[in-house]
Amino acid sequence: MSKTLLITRPEYDPATRYLSRWSGKIKEKAEEKGINVIDLSKNKANRKRVIGTLEKKDPGLVVLNGHGSESSVEGHNNETILKEGDEKAVESKIIFARSCKSAKSLGQGMVIRGVNAYLGYDDDFWLMYTESKISKPLEDKTAELFLVPSNYIAISLLKGHTAGNADNRSKILFRRNIEKLIIEGPSSDNYYTIRYLLWDMMHQVCLGNKNAIF
Amino acid sequence: MIENAKKTEEKKEEIPKDAKELTIARLDVLPSDKKISVGSIGEFTKDELIERVEKGDEIGRKVVEIELNFLRTLREGSLLRDILAPDQEQELNE
Repeated sequence: MSKTLLITRPEYDPATRYLSRWSGKIKEKAEEKGINVIDLSKNKANRKRVIGTLEKKDPGLVVLNGHGSESSVEGHNNETILKEGDEKAVESKIIFARSCKSAKSLGQGMVIRGVNAYLGYDDDFWLMYTESKISKPLEDKTAELFLVPSNYIAISLLKGHTAGNADNRSKILFRRNIEKLIIEGPSSDNYYTIRYLLWDMMHQVCLGNKNAIF
Repeated sequence: MIENAKKTEEKKEEIPKDAKELTIARLDVLPSDKKISVGSIGEFTKDELIERVEKGDEIGRKVVEIELNFLRTLREGSLLRDILAPDQEQELNE
């Protein structure tokens, strides 16, 4: 039986637009690996579809993009798609939530109550982008500095690495970007992003079973 | 008494003047075509962030916190130590 990835890609403001478009690369990688992809994009990223898919299709890996809080992850138009109390629906799964703060409380609770591993951010996820590239997020070299490393969590999991290793590999890419910018120096257009890349890297966490494999 | 407690609380949360000035000076060099997204709070231009730091609201305090975290990490040398760790490339290629 082939593995299944569930990915949510709400798209209703600049941040979700960027996350959604860059998540296309995760989807492509999964398809390349013959993994069954359930892509809930735009208005399909709603609570009913997400919980229904989790219960019926039992995906081993769940990638959630969107805004979030300490106790929830949101979908399209800021509708809560995952919150405390949903542990049964995500039992034994690996979750990567690219959203603000959700690893702080929601993730902690979920791994205690049966989620295999929860990767995400325990504080705000800061993203810098270029205003003129809003219509072409994949061409935005500034946003790329943030989104390639965070994408790499999911890509590493798709490659068969453990949750802990996926987190480490992603952080290596964050560091590599920081190093590049330090070498380029203050004349670089993106030099200022260093502090935000560092912040995101420091607040990226892997909770639960670090040896979990998709 | 309640008024005094309120004032104490406000004072506690005030951004120190030098941290504020430092953060604003750093923000000022940010190219004006860049925007920063902070979760569901929204997107900010450099001028909007400078205004928030000056005001000392939640976002302003967070921007200062991130700036100080960056400087602290540089001072401790941990950022460069991590970057110069030789085993990273090897680990990625495995």
